[in-house]
Amino acid sequence: MPKPPRPDGMTLFFLALAAAAGGTVYALMGPGAVAAAAGRAGGLLLQVAPIVVAAVLISGYAQALIPRESVQRWLGAGSGLRGLTLATAAGALTPGGPFAAFPLVVALLGAGASFEVCVAFITAWSVLGLNRVIVYEIPFLGVHFVALRLLASLPLPFIAALLARPVARWVGLNR
Amino acid sequence: MTLGLVTVLLLLGLLAALAQRRPDRPHRAALGTGWRQLRPLLLRLPLALLAAAFLITLLPEEAVVDYLGESSGWQGVLLASLFGGLLPGGPAVSFPLVLVLIDEGAGTAQLIALLTAWSVLAFHRVAAHELPTLGGRYTLARLLASAPLPIVAGALAGALARFTAAGL
Repeated sequence: MPKPPRPDGMTLFFLALAAAAGGTVYALMGPGAVAAAAGRAGGLLLQVAPIVVAAVLISGYAQALIPRESVQRWLGAGSGLRGLTLATAAGALTPGGPFAAFPLVVALLGAGASFEVCVAFITAWSVLGLNRVIVYEIPFLGVHFVALRLLASLPLPFIAALLARPVARWVGLNR
Repeated sequence: MTLGLVTVLLLLGLLAALAQRRPDRPHRAALGTGWRQLRPLLLRLPLALLAAAFLITLLPEEAVVDYLGESSGWQGVLLASLFGGLLPGGPAVSFPLVLVLIDEGAGTAQLIALLTAWSVLAFHRVAAHELPTLGGRYTLARLLASAPLPIVAGALAGALARFTAAGL
């Protein structure tokens, strides 16, 4: 059986923040304001919880159905503008959180992919990731906002890749 | 939000059906991955929403509009980028927080800068995943190459929004 959740660093951070902010609200505005804010948070939680549960399940299925190896095979050889475009597309399609994405980058570097291609991939994964867009962003923020954000983010993997080469030289990466 | 839930449930059903058609029927693996992602959220999500509700209560009225609203311009974009880079937590935590900010009157370009900074710079993710897997130099080089992106996205989004508002 699963163990009860053990509080990690980030959870403790939010606990401390909630306690400090809640204490301040209590001191400045009294218990009524604390109750009102807690009620608001509870209402939002009830709205959000079903989507979050469905979202983690979708993420689980997407990772089970799209194996890491196929992304890796797809990207290993790419270079130039074609490579960057492929890397951007692969990044947008790669499901899963940082647990899945960063080991993939290590594997790509090991397989001989260039640093620019890896930067394009990880940038696309983070700003264009379709899994997150479909599962979280559209339900929470609506199609119009998401379309505008995706359009504004489309050039970002290429810009980051262009900057990656001089930056890598400056930092002293010998690639 | 209801429409969003319906979409998400349809997608989940579709993926489960696809998994069912595969010879290995990877339901167990999918549920396991999903549960591992959900478990830390059981505590974190309520606490994050509570913290956000308290912080918004403490902010003077109109503060979000003044600093992050449509009219806050590039300073708003810059501030939103800083805030987004420091915002910890995955999408389950940060999208509800963005929802609160929209409610309080934050502007679209500013929110897009915030989300982009949260996506590409997120210091907690760098510390927890990127540094251990990629090492210091790669991480530094990627961060430097990505640092301007939130401002680029915010500026582009602002321009696009003005363009569409001007009557396409």
